[in-house]
Formats: sequence, C-alpha cells, structure tokens
Amino acid sequence: MNKTSKPSLSAGAWLWLLLCAAVLAYLPTLLTERAFLGMPLSNTQLLNLGLSQINLMLISMLGALSLNYLTGCAGLISIGHAAFFATGAMAAAVFDTQLGWPFPLVLLAAALAGALAGTLAGLPSLRVRGLYFVLSTLAVHYVVTYVFLEYQFKYFDVVGIPYATPRLGDWELNTPVRWYALLLPLVVLVYWGLKASLKSREGRAMLAMRDHELAATSVGVDVRILRLKAFALSSAIASVAGALFAYYLSNVTSEAFNILFAIQFIAMIIIGGMGSLSGSLVGAAIWLLLPSIIGGLSPQSSESNEFLGKLLVEHRAQLVQLIFSILVIVFLIFAPGGVAGLATSLKNAWQAWRAKP
Amino acid sequence: MFEQVFFSGLALGSIYGLVALGFAVIFKATDVFNFAQGMFVVCGAYFAVTAISILQLPFPLAILFIIGAAALLGVLIHMVLIQPLSGRPMLSVIMLTIALSIALRAFIEIVFGPQGRSLATPMPTGVLMLGEVRISYLHLTAALVSWVCMAGFGLFFRFTSVGLLMRACADNHEAVVVSGVNVNTMNRLAWGIGSTLAAVGGVFLGQLQIASTELEGIGLLALPAVVIGGMQSIPGAIIGGLLVGIIEQMAATYISPKSSDIVIYVLLLLILMVRPWGLFGQRELGRV
Repeated sequence: MNKTSKPSLSAGAWLWLLLCAAVLAYLPTLLTERAFLGMPLSNTQLLNLGLSQINLMLISMLGALSLNYLTGCAGLISIGHAAFFATGAMAAAVFDTQLGWPFPLVLLAAALAGALAGTLAGLPSLRVRGLYFVLSTLAVHYVVTYVFLEYQFKYFDVVGIPYATPRLGDWELNTPVRWYALLLPLVVLVYWGLKASLKSREGRAMLAMRDHELAATSVGVDVRILRLKAFALSSAIASVAGALFAYYLSNVTSEAFNILFAIQFIAMIIIGGMGSLSGSLVGAAIWLLLPSIIGGLSPQSSESNEFLGKLLVEHRAQLVQLIFSILVIVFLIFAPGGVAGLATSLKNAWQAWRAKP
Repeated sequence: MFEQVFFSGLALGSIYGLVALGFAVIFKATDVFNFAQGMFVVCGAYFAVTAISILQLPFPLAILFIIGAAALLGVLIHMVLIQPLSGRPMLSVIMLTIALSIALRAFIEIVFGPQGRSLATPMPTGVLMLGEVRISYLHLTAALVSWVCMAGFGLFFRFTSVGLLMRACADNHEAVVVSGVNVNTMNRLAWGIGSTLAAVGGVFLGQLQIASTELEGIGLLALPAVVIGGMQSIPGAIIGGLLVGIIEQMAATYISPKSSDIVIYVLLLLILMVRPWGLFGQRELGRV
C-alpha cells in the first residue's frame, strides 16, 4: 500500500488538483459579480450563496478539522470545542480590542492561549476514560463560557465585545474577497499540516493509541503525553478559528459559543466521516451551505404549496435544525462512515465493477 | 433565610432526582448516556399542555395521557433509533441522543410556537408557613410525588420479577440472554420508565415556571446529578439530584444567580478528577 518513499502524484491527480485550484480561485469572482464568464446568473442558480457564507464555511472548516483530528484521529471525544473558540475570541479581545496588538501577533497569542487551555482541559484525560472524559469536556465548556460571560460584562456590556477590522500592514481585511484570500490558504495549510502530522512518527503512534490503547502502550508509546499534545494542537487551531470568527463577525457575545455551537462541529465530522480530514471539509461545507439553500427554496415553494411555504417562512430556523438533526441520525444509522465512508465504498464498487472481465 | 433556601433546594432537588433516576435506569439498562433526557422533561411539560389546555381532559385522564404518551415516546425511540445502533462506538450513540434532542426541540417549536405556554393544573397552590419558612404547596406536592415515584420504583426493582429481570439485564447481559429473557423488551421497558420519570418532572417544572423548550437546560442538570451520585447507582442518582438542587439554590442565593450552573459543573469536574465513579458508585476495574 503506502511505501515509505515519497508518494508521487499521478497525472490524473495533478489534473484534479489544478481543477480544484481553478474553481476555488474563480469562486470569489463568480459570487461577487454573480455572473459566469459574463453570463449573469440568478440567485437560485447560485444556490442563494454569497461569499460571506463561504468565508464562514472556511472558518468552520478549521473547527471541524481540529475536532476531527482530536476525535477521529486521536480518539478523544470532546463536546466542549466551543470553549476553545471562545478562548480564541477572548484572546483577541484582550490583545487587540484592549491592548491593540497587531493582527498576526494576536492570532499567535490566540493559538498559544488555545494550546494552554487545551492542555488544561486535557488534564482529566490522565485520570478518566471514555464517557467520564466526555463529561469533563462538557464541564470545561460551561466553565469557559462562564468566564467569557464574566469577562464580557466586566469590560464591555450586554451588546458584546467589539473587534476592530484586522489589518496586515496596509492591507485591511474589509471585504469578503480579502477575507477569502486570507482564509482559503489558511485552511489548505492546516489541512496539509494535519495530514502530514498523521504520517509522522507521533501521528502514527496517535492512530495506534486510538485503535488500541494498551497495545500502543506496550510498544512504548506514552499515551498520556500524546493525548495532551493532540489536545493542545487541536485546541490551538480551534482557538485561532475562534479569533478569526470573532474578527469576521466584528461583534461577539457569550451566547455565540453555546453548547449548540460545539455540537455543530460534532455533526459536521459525523456527516463528513469520523477520522477523515477531507471528510471534515465536506461536512463543514454541507453544514454551512445547506441552510441558505433551504432558504432559497422558500419563494418557489410558497407559490406551489401553502403549508410548506408557511413552514419555510415562519419556522425556517427550526426547519433547518430539524433537517440537520434528521440528517445526522440517518447518517449515524445507515452510513456510520459519513460522506468519506460512502465515497470509499463507491470507489471500491467502481473498481470491482471495472475489474470484472 | 438558610432554611428557606434549603427547603426550596430540596424541593427542586427532588424533581432533579426524579429526572436523574430515569436517566440512571436508561443508562444501567442500555449503557446509553442519554443527552435527550432534558428534552424528555420538555416533552412531559408539553404533553401536559396538550392534555390540559388543548384537549381539556379531566385531570385524572390527563395524568394517564401524559404517562402513556411519555412511555410510548421512550419505547418508540428505543425501537427506532437506539436498537439499530447497539454495539456502535460511544460517540455515535451520544451524538444520536444529541441529534434527537435537537429534532424534538425543533418539532415542538414548530408545533407549539417558540414562545412558552403557561401550564395550569388543578394541583394545590398557595403557601404553607412552617415557622419562618415559606413552602409553596406546589413545591411540596412536587417533592412528595417525586418521593413516591422514587420509592415506588425502588420497590419495583427490588421485589417484582420484572424488576429483578431488569436488574439482571443491567448486571450481566449475556447471562440473561442465555437464560432466554428477551433483552430488547427489558431495554424498551427501561426507556419507557426513563422517559416517563423525566416527563413527570417536566409537568412540575412546567408549572413552577412555564412550559417552554428552555426547560431542557434544567432537565440536563440531571447529568451532573447522576455523575456526582455515581452512574451505576440508583440511590446515588436520587441523592445526586437532591445535592444538585440544594447546591444550585445556595449558589444562586449566596454567590450570584448567574453562577448557579457553573458551581454544579465545577463540582462535576472536581468529582471527575478525584472520584470519577461518583459518591455512591463502584469503582470500575478494567480488564486487559
């Protein structure tokens, strides 16, 4: 299967990569001019999407990647990942809104704060396993959001914490296209970084730890240190994502990081596929883009069907939640591998079909 | 002052204990850590709204309706959702119950509207004075009914043959299968009991406040209650519930109302660090 020599990409893979790069590079133009090669497109044809949704999707992708690294690859379940987003947002508030540090330094500080918070939150993993550890992450979630709430009310007010428009030198991040230009390379970087780290010695030790802790220990893996490291890395990424999220929204309250916020990342990696980094990208994309697609349906369906139209207009938020939770349940029961698992089995079926004489 | 806070904490704690007991019954029988337990509480409150305000059933019939609907809900959830997932990793099952609670919440908000409904039952209202301490009749009824339910189920598990089988199922799954007991029936029964107990708690909470989906947060306090008491222990769940109720009221009065939840969760974190098997649970031993 995988040789230790450097894997070289085939011509087909290069073609795919180029095609993806071309699509991603053209996407901002397509969505801002709302026209494809000079041909104007209607909102419905563009699936009711805008670039700001794409940007939020990219930020969520960072969160989903970090959670999938922790849960899918290291086998540590966390239902408190919103806490690390909150840590990042808090770090950004302290170092930028209050102290006025430059943007790159603030992101670095957010990463460090996230790593620290993650190490602390991972400490119970030295003592408890499985379900008990899940509960400790839940408790950490409540503790961090309470600290955020107290901080917000001490230095700011009910309206929330304001964030200045970030700038890199003279380059101000004031348009969606500029955000896209910052976020897309960042997501690609984090994706390749995590992928490479899984191929390293420690990454493989981590996968061994997930699959069989005792076996991993018996071949000399120190699972305690490894757990804390995985937790620190994952929460550092989530914390940077949280800082970016806060900057992007330019105003954040403690309610933004409630338990539902944490749960949505779990839903993303379940839909995308547990343990598959590319799956978490797909899961985040589905999670963030589906609501606006459902919203785009409302004008048409209100003409055709009165009941459905009323449902879409009056209870859109609830309808989106209902659809998502049912989607998650269906995936859990019928496709536990998520989209990535479905893709693998499709690929296998296709190869088996081709191999037939 | 102190007695006042203590007694209202005790009354609320009895309701938490009831919800936590339902949670523990489900957990012991099927090993499912049910995050939808908070939503079962909300369902109970809305079953009561349906029976009393919408269908305008007489009160005894309404009670039957609430209990029947809640038990049916639990049994259906086990049949349709939990059973297909048996043997899957823990996160799948946890996430299923979380997704279920989101779906139930969305469904309730679509059917009844996102605003809460007031719930009025013919249970006695008013205040009883015991020296300096004011106790509302509603709190008193809630506590009494909770205690009767808890005692009833304690006796049921201890002295009936079905209760014995359920305890056997929780103890040693394989041995029970070999003896020819239908484990699925027992598990369904456990889910029915668990959701009914939560629903009874929901009826009281719905009347003490109003029936709304916000009751879920209160219902979810059963989770720390169960862990503090010890997850494998039925009496532990009840005592954990009482403790959580009293501590919550104390924290709300003496520290600040905002801090009441956080004190509970910090306590949970401490218990997990020091004594993960809870106050009354048994230490789990791993086998290599």
